[in-house]
Amino acid sequence: MPTAAELDQMIKSGELIESPKEMTPEYLRELKHTLIVSGDTELISAPAYYLAAKRAPSINAFMTGIAIIQDELAHAHIAYHILEELGEDQEKLIFSRDPKSFRYPYAFDVPLDTWTELVVANGFYDQAGFCLLGDIHDKCSYGPWKRGLNKVMLEENFHLRNGRTWMKRISAAGGTARDELQRAVDWMFPLSVEWFGLPDTMKMHSTQLEYRLKGLTNDQLRQWWLSTVVPYCEQIGVKVPAHKETKDGKDVWELDYPFPCEFDAENKRWDFQQPITWDAVLARWRERGPRNDEMVAMFQEEFHNFRKTHHRDS
Amino acid sequence: MPINLVDLGVIYDIRQGDDGMVEVDLTFTAMGCPASDFILEDVRERLMREPGVNEVRVNVVWDPPWTSARMTEQGREALEEWGLAV
Repeated sequence: MPTAAELDQMIKSGELIESPKEMTPEYLRELKHTLIVSGDTELISAPAYYLAAKRAPSINAFMTGIAIIQDELAHAHIAYHILEELGEDQEKLIFSRDPKSFRYPYAFDVPLDTWTELVVANGFYDQAGFCLLGDIHDKCSYGPWKRGLNKVMLEENFHLRNGRTWMKRISAAGGTARDELQRAVDWMFPLSVEWFGLPDTMKMHSTQLEYRLKGLTNDQLRQWWLSTVVPYCEQIGVKVPAHKETKDGKDVWELDYPFPCEFDAENKRWDFQQPITWDAVLARWRERGPRNDEMVAMFQEEFHNFRKTHHRDS
Repeated sequence: MPINLVDLGVIYDIRQGDDGMVEVDLTFTAMGCPASDFILEDVRERLMREPGVNEVRVNVVWDPPWTSARMTEQGREALEEWGLAV
């Protein structure tokens, strides 16, 4: 096992770490934590997307939705498989954890009820995933994960395309279809902005950055997301509460509402008149959202039912 | 994927009428192709950009079925470079 200084030297030199033998216990802990967040996020997107994919407006659209869900499960598998190689029990991680202990973004606890909301999720949430994973793919110091993400990035492009193509199509259709799209964007945009976590001013120290498990800060990732989503929405005629400014010769994306602010998850409504503290956001995240139990039960229940039946038969 | 539909071997026929209508016979590599919607839209959108084209009809056909033998040499090389064994 290397000393902390040796590990630090290895990370700084840009070398890749290939096995637990080359890690300190602290690095291993942080790597596992980061992988769990990634695996849980990919996994929970499957039931969340499935509930909405069932409302696809055509067979072709349904096949695309189902293919995306299949990709997400495969992406989750990459993270859990690496965790298993690092000594965790994949089966326990997926099937025996309490729903509240899953570490995915709060956004997935708010149900996607329509095809429109699903395609906005593909346009917004998958873009968030693309930024986060793209950064890890680019910078991660752990070789097996970095290489595992090669294919993931290509597939995420397909999800984004589904989101963007449909958002454009629905916006162009006008009328009530476009109103429904705008309503979905209104609640899903701020949730995606929140996805990237605490602002850099409040998060002075990041072990993930120190270990080069990722390369960009929360605010840098958030800016990257805004720089892709805001211009696209403007181009297709969808309103979003953000705009571009130039500061010190650099483009910066500014939000047009207090960040963070109050969210009513049951009614999918933000109150831009009601700024809140990050402590209140963290408390909401810890409590989880309206569909946390249901989403997790969708993949845990049948596993345990099958186990029970199988046990009786044998 | 970094390959065009012609090199992939899924375009079976293209016919142009005098009235600005273009008809395309096209297949997919699998009946459950998740990208079918995008492909149909791309074909329509691209052909409509050609001068003199004012209508595009795409017929999805399954006979003869597509196999990888229908790919051109360029198509095969592009996919191999991308990391797919063909």
